[in-house]
Amino acid sequence: MKTATLIDLLARGAGPAPRLVPAALAGVLLSAALALAVLGPVPAAMFATPAPWLKLLYTGALAVAAGWLAARLARPLPRLQRPRAAVLAVLGAMALLGGLALLATAPGERLVALMGHSALACPWNVAALSLPALAAALWALRGLAPTRPRAAGFAAGLLAGALGALGYALSCVESSPAFVAVWYTLGMLLAALLGAALGPRVLRW
Amino acid sequence: MPEDASPNDFETGLKLLWLRAQAGDEAAYRVCLERIAARLRGYLRRRMQSLPDDVEDLVQETLLALHLQRGTYDPALPVSAWVLAIARHKLVDLWRRRGRRDDLHDALDEVDESALAAVAEDGQARRDLDKLLLELPEAQRLAIVLTKVEGLSVAEASQRTGASASAIKVQVHRGLKRLARLVRE
Repeated sequence: MKTATLIDLLARGAGPAPRLVPAALAGVLLSAALALAVLGPVPAAMFATPAPWLKLLYTGALAVAAGWLAARLARPLPRLQRPRAAVLAVLGAMALLGGLALLATAPGERLVALMGHSALACPWNVAALSLPALAAALWALRGLAPTRPRAAGFAAGLLAGALGALGYALSCVESSPAFVAVWYTLGMLLAALLGAALGPRVLRW
Repeated sequence: MPEDASPNDFETGLKLLWLRAQAGDEAAYRVCLERIAARLRGYLRRRMQSLPDDVEDLVQETLLALHLQRGTYDPALPVSAWVLAIARHKLVDLWRRRGRRDDLHDALDEVDESALAAVAEDGQARRDLDKLLLELPEAQRLAIVLTKVEGLSVAEASQRTGASASAIKVQVHRGLKRLARLVRE
């Protein structure tokens, strides 16, 4: 085939460049809803306390920041400074808040505040709940043009992890900010690392 | 092409045309693809000295990818940088498929302006478009042949086949995507 023939073929009736539809985003949100439906919600009385709101705020903010990062990484030559700063700011703010909360706790109770009653289950639950969103996010990225597959996979994993954690927050009865800062973050990072590991294999186009 | 004698002129000339192409100007798009193809040929030829027979195949593979991914162009960036990022991605992918791991080390985001010398010639790849089209599902092949080879409008192709206009567009897009996968194999 001559290249001129291909150019004819591509240009003929090409129309305007397609806009990147946030359909991909809709898929991701749908799977988050699915993750949410699997687990029962927390007792309604808990919403009178700040604990679930903090978790929702943290995971929601991280989902937005990681989604921004992933959207940038879906294009060749991504400009990453601002979305990366946003992700780090959310993580940093939560770490700070968790640290301060821990300092405000009586020394004898700090370990309990940190470990809660579900410390070892929490990261795994978060990571497991993120899997449908991870599949959706990777699938969406694959249809675009990520030129840094590992970083794109990481961002997709972080987005999925944040959505998984958002779902998990609705059924988690832990109330300590330090718990959230450590174990939620760990679960979301697990999902991000899984995304980074899958990226180079899955995000080929 | 005298108007893109130097890489910077290449970018300034291309950018305006490219923005028109993105907005739907077919003639501008064709000129862009021709200029880009000439630049890609120079860029890839220099980097594929051990695989000279594969250069034109990769030029075409990159053009297909550019076409399918033109929605990901970020107007804040030079067109040439975006094009070269995709070309590099395709080159790395080719090497990976060939089991080669060296030569992958220069920074991805770096635009090597000296590599942008144009090589205008009538490039001939080894693969055969007609054979590739035969591998597509019937609906996709028909939609591509009618609108892209015979040059019918989407409305005419829709009348001819009885499929809706949007179905024709979807089949063309899916068909080109599948072609892009086929040429990678």
